[in-house]
Amino acid sequence: MKKTAGFLIVVAAIFLGFYFCDWHLQSDDEAEPAPAYQAVDSLPMLIMQVQKCSKLYTAEYRVHKIVTHDDALRLKGSLLQKEFNIKVPMGDRKVAIPIDAKLKAYIDFSKFSEENVERDGDKITILLPDPQVTMTSSKIDQKNVRQYVGLTRSNFSDEELSNYQQQGRAAIIDGIPKMGIIESAQANATKVLVPMLVEMGYKEENITIAFRKTYGPQDIQKLLKIED
Amino acid sequence: MKILTYIKIGIGAAIVVLLIAGFFWLRGETKNSYIDFGTSDKIDLTPTQIQSMKAIGEWEFLSVSTEEIVDTIRKGIFSDDELVRIYYGTLRLGVNMHHVGDNWIQTSGDSITLTLPKIELLDKEFIDEARTKSFYERGSWKPADRDALYQKAYRQMLHHSMTKENLQAAKANASQQMHDIMRALGYQHVSVTFQQ
Repeated sequence: MKKTAGFLIVVAAIFLGFYFCDWHLQSDDEAEPAPAYQAVDSLPMLIMQVQKCSKLYTAEYRVHKIVTHDDALRLKGSLLQKEFNIKVPMGDRKVAIPIDAKLKAYIDFSKFSEENVERDGDKITILLPDPQVTMTSSKIDQKNVRQYVGLTRSNFSDEELSNYQQQGRAAIIDGIPKMGIIESAQANATKVLVPMLVEMGYKEENITIAFRKTYGPQDIQKLLKIED
Repeated sequence: MKILTYIKIGIGAAIVVLLIAGFFWLRGETKNSYIDFGTSDKIDLTPTQIQSMKAIGEWEFLSVSTEEIVDTIRKGIFSDDELVRIYYGTLRLGVNMHHVGDNWIQTSGDSITLTLPKIELLDKEFIDEARTKSFYERGSWKPADRDALYQKAYRQMLHHSMTKENLQAAKANASQQMHDIMRALGYQHVSVTFQQ
């Protein structure tokens, strides 16, 4: 009788130990089923900023990036003048986070005035303000996030994952100058404005849409309007 | 007997001297020694892939930037688990120039009438999820839980931002901006209406 009770106590202790220590290998299959508990929303909205503007978005790019983090647990040290760096068995943690983002380029018409318009008889030239680029949205592909956590490690925390996502976002922003979105924005602006001016009675051949200059990759950093 | 005792004392003393010498040798050898557990913070990024690029004609007249703090609680036997995150998003209200009707511009001398498409939410994807901040976490949460939080933040942002007042403000600003642009183009009398 005493042996049975002792056995049950040991089993219960092991179960509770695993439960509280949260030692397990999380696979993607575990992420699939919908949560069976009810979520409770108890906190309000933080802040809202409403701003009047006049921006004509002319180019949209959808981009994709995967952030990976390989977090191996290593035993490092120096003993008897000898350095060692040993990978601890079952101490690996890996995560791969796919990020989809949408970038848009626009022309800000809020300061558009008569100075931007030149007329010469039937001909009209519109000098447009510098195009600008912004990231309008980003989405973590949660269904395809992969995590592999070794038995001796804890799961990635939400703060760690958010940090990796923010680094991925920053890397997407850093890559914008190489994408050619400004050139697309300039070309597409004519597709919106020329039909508008034709509707006003101008002949297509008499319309010129111009920009201040041809923008190179070095200019694009100044044209990026990304919120931190 | 006496000799045996001296031998024993001698061996004992030698062992003590050896131990002391060994201790000092080991101390000297391990002076700069250390053992530490460490993890690598190496983050790798794949090259950015451009999946699509397209020409658009979205004219934004009101931007609503919001931050929503969203939480989820999981009831437990001993304690409750909780995850709180802060989501950021910008809802852009305006007109899609690809939806203009035929003859949407009518001119007569220095007068012009514009019939713009109705004010709408220009892009249904407005949350910058990669900018999300983790505020509080207790317990273990899966990607599906984060997806559910995203959906909740999305609904809250829509509810708080797509108000009658904001739509009206966007419409009024669209009218004002179009007036200014048309005046810059030389029209003195400008009339702006919206499709129903």
